[in-house]
Amino acid sequence: MKTILQIEDNFANRRLVERVLEPFSYRLLNACDGQSGIDTALQETPDLILLDMGLPDMDGQTLVSMLREMPALANIPIIALTAWPESIAGEMAIRYGCDGCITKPINVAEFGKQIAVYLNH
Amino acid sequence: MILLPASDFTIEELTQAYNQTRTDYLIPMPMNPARLQEYMLLYDVELNKSRVARDGDNIVGLGMLGKRKSTGWITRLGVLPNGRRKGVGGAILDALLAEAQRCNLPDVWLEVIHGNQPAHELFQKYQFRQTRELIVARRPPRTARNMSIIKDVRKIQYLQHDEMLELHCRRRERTNWLNGIETMRNVRRLTNVLLDDGDDYSRHELTHLSGIVVEFSDGAQGWVSYQATTLQLKRICVEVLCGDPARTTAGLLELLHRLHSSQDAAVENIPDDEAWLGFKQAGYFEVFRRIEMVRESVVE
Repeated sequence: MKTILQIEDNFANRRLVERVLEPFSYRLLNACDGQSGIDTALQETPDLILLDMGLPDMDGQTLVSMLREMPALANIPIIALTAWPESIAGEMAIRYGCDGCITKPINVAEFGKQIAVYLNH
Repeated sequence: MILLPASDFTIEELTQAYNQTRTDYLIPMPMNPARLQEYMLLYDVELNKSRVARDGDNIVGLGMLGKRKSTGWITRLGVLPNGRRKGVGGAILDALLAEAQRCNLPDVWLEVIHGNQPAHELFQKYQFRQTRELIVARRPPRTARNMSIIKDVRKIQYLQHDEMLELHCRRRERTNWLNGIETMRNVRRLTNVLLDDGDDYSRHELTHLSGIVVEFSDGAQGWVSYQATTLQLKRICVEVLCGDPARTTAGLLELLHRLHSSQDAAVENIPDDEAWLGFKQAGYFEVFRRIEMVRESVVE
């Protein structure tokens, strides 16, 4: 079973992703800020990280930089989840070393397929 | 609805309310209590002059007032989604402007995120006028750039906090609230306060200002000031004293990033002028824009 770590501070957004991914039988872990996201990632070594780019304790760019510095986590695909305009979000995500970007609000009909593509890439 | 001084609330309550006002924003920028505390210290926000709007037991909005000499600054103004379209934002703004008047602050400044039309219209209604657009930009670590500019350096000097403050005092460009001399002075104040407070703050975040003063072979001169933490360069300011603004800015930044190649870089509120071209040449990209606005002569 593939493990996905979602790092997102907004409860409603976390819950929505949980519900949308429910039928896919992934093991979904949650962290609500950057520090707990790093701790969980180090403990669980997920197959994919879904990262909100605006967190309360550090911004997403900083967190991506930190994750990429850690040998155990450096190669885990990171997908930025952001409400920022697609042009900015996409460029920012790629330049900071994310493997992709999904803009919010997520498309609930497509989200599962989008995640599957990243997991199987 | 009643308006209360923000000092009646805990930092945790204010943080939670602030985050709730931004949940559906284009750029939410959530904070935790430590970051909000840092923000208030750096930017001279006074909680007793700031206001929280409460409806029954629920906070429905808040707005903060910063004060420096005879200038005020409104920040973190927001209304929770369920309190909108009820005049809460206007009521908070009224209270903050009245407080500014009581404090003899003739000019009140603020910034609104480009694209936040309802807020922009509210501020215009209150006689705030737009002064300029400011850019928030980032540069990822290890961004590969052409470092050929290094060859053109005639003289280079590395300065520390107090020397950099002296240079900041002599800046020719009109600074924004976030990049003003008071903010730079507060960097050290913040470090001291947080060290006294102790435990829940990352020590690597607590540093002072550093700077590089450069004279190039073609006669161009300038300096770059910054705060280096383990992961990030913050509070980056560039002053071109002589020479082409874009080329000199790019040269200064290239030197900075050669010195700190592994750090991410964040700059806030750079004017959209020739120097910004230099930032772009050095690998920075625009994340979003703010509109700076001022309301003059509140004191009658």
